[in-house]
Amino acid sequence: MSAIIQIKNVTKEFKVLNRREGLKGSLKDLFSRDYKIVRAVDNISMDIEQGEIVGYLGPNGAGKSTTIKMMTGVLEPTSGEILVGGNIPYQNRAKNAQEIGVVFGQRSQLWWALPLIESFKLLKDIYQISDSDYKSMMHLYQSLVDIEPLLHKPVRQMSLGQRTLSDILAAFLHNPKIVFLDEPTIGLDVSMKSKIRILINALNKEKNTTVILTTHDMGDVDALCRRIVIIDKGKMLYNNDIEHLKGFFGSYRTLKIRMDGDLKQQAEVIQKELPDFSVSADEEWISVLVDEEKSKVMEVLNQLQKSHEIRDMQLEEISTEDVIKKIYEEGVE
Amino acid sequence: MNLKKYLSLTRAGIMESLQFRLGTVVMVIGNLLYLIVVYFLWKAIYASAGTDVVNGMTFTDTLIYLVLATALFGFMEMYTVWEIGRNIQSGKIVLDLLKPMEYRRYLFWSYSGSFVTQFFFTFLPTFIIVGIVTHGAIPLGVNLLYFVISVVMAVSINYSIDFFVGTICLFTESIWGINIMKQVIVLLLSGATIPIAFFPEPLKTIVYYLPFQSIYNAPLTLLLDGDPKFETVITILGTQLIWCIVMTVLSTLFWKVSLRQITVNGG
Repeated sequence: MSAIIQIKNVTKEFKVLNRREGLKGSLKDLFSRDYKIVRAVDNISMDIEQGEIVGYLGPNGAGKSTTIKMMTGVLEPTSGEILVGGNIPYQNRAKNAQEIGVVFGQRSQLWWALPLIESFKLLKDIYQISDSDYKSMMHLYQSLVDIEPLLHKPVRQMSLGQRTLSDILAAFLHNPKIVFLDEPTIGLDVSMKSKIRILINALNKEKNTTVILTTHDMGDVDALCRRIVIIDKGKMLYNNDIEHLKGFFGSYRTLKIRMDGDLKQQAEVIQKELPDFSVSADEEWISVLVDEEKSKVMEVLNQLQKSHEIRDMQLEEISTEDVIKKIYEEGVE
Repeated sequence: MNLKKYLSLTRAGIMESLQFRLGTVVMVIGNLLYLIVVYFLWKAIYASAGTDVVNGMTFTDTLIYLVLATALFGFMEMYTVWEIGRNIQSGKIVLDLLKPMEYRRYLFWSYSGSFVTQFFFTFLPTFIIVGIVTHGAIPLGVNLLYFVISVVMAVSINYSIDFFVGTICLFTESIWGINIMKQVIVLLLSGATIPIAFFPEPLKTIVYYLPFQSIYNAPLTLLLDGDPKFETVITILGTQLIWCIVMTVLSTLFWKVSLRQITVNGG
């Protein structure tokens, strides 16, 4: 099976006017032809299969939105090739639009003043959805979320969460092959976030829709994505399974123990006993960063128990968030 | 072409504009105030001229013309430039571009709803009131048919000009100045603020070679002429048709070329 999205060596450059400082500079800028080239996306390649949920991550300004705009056909790549469902997006925007759905977390495609149901009816006509497809989609929606009270509410009166939910439903309405979700859970409360994650997962399973998700919330990633792509400063840093990511920096776990007496002193003692690992102490806990490739956490704990009286213990896994943070800050070695 | 998807945009537009009742009322009041100003201004102009007929138009002629021009403006002005500009600045244009429909059409049909409501809520009442107040100064005959045909083309020309100017916003990313400039040029050169009969001869000649007079002057001339010569009608409608085609082609091409340059905010 060939991939639904194929991206080959794509680069996107923007021409940006060099702005000068101050009032005088601003006046000069009016006549300036002094441009610099900014490379927003730098030689990115990836394939995405039908039915995948891919997390597209990167710090602010990394080039995520630019890539998505190229995939949707709003921007034309400076060089390289993009194929979405066999189409070149920017050449066939209208055709491509029929195959994709888009949600931007901070904007709405719904008709502001009208009840939600009117937006759905409009989208039905715009995307030329048949009556039977529309009905079965609405049935599916009703089985997944409590949509009835939303349908007759004007969009402008909705809470952010309700609106985002509605926007996601609107994006899936014409049963597109691919849905782009750009920060869908931004600004939402915990329960709404989980509702939306469940909804996305269900729609992905039910319709085998490919989902490309950009987010800064690692909860979204853990709940939805099997695979992630990380870019920073336009360059691709990582493109693989999420499990593989965790083993990326070795298999570290943090063992935290609590003891009586002065923790700082005891930490120094333990450090001498365990020269392989780094030991630190704060007000409550002594933390030992254990590299499980050298020895297992249980062995370390056993060894410590022989010489110290341990009152309490905790084990911390390295989280996706920690790993991603590390990648953003240090890059991939 | 599937007409249904366009008509459902019109339908939504009508519903949307009916949601804002207060807005409609305020607009009607605003227009009324403008008309009062126009009334006194022209009254003073005619008083100082000392004759009943200035440039071939009586006071009543001028007033009817301007009142109807205002009413026409009320429903023909689509604020396209604002809309495009705002959409570019907010980045919402991305969502509109991702509809399986040409943006030019999408925007037009989204607007066509408010069009319909404006026609019934401002133009038609004004038309009827003017008719009653002036005791039938507006001739009711075949000229109405010409008028309707003319207005349809005027709408198209007006939209093309707006869309063309709106496209410039892709490059400037600012709206205000461009929009004001466009508005002044269109309203003046189309004869919407001052009847073209009042223009000095050289300017009049220039204006007749420009597309703007096809927007307001052409339909109003056809409407207010009770017994138009066939030649005049054909000349006016023919000119409009030519401009209609030229402006549609120009604005479509300009948009296509410009879109390649587009950089959308928030990357």
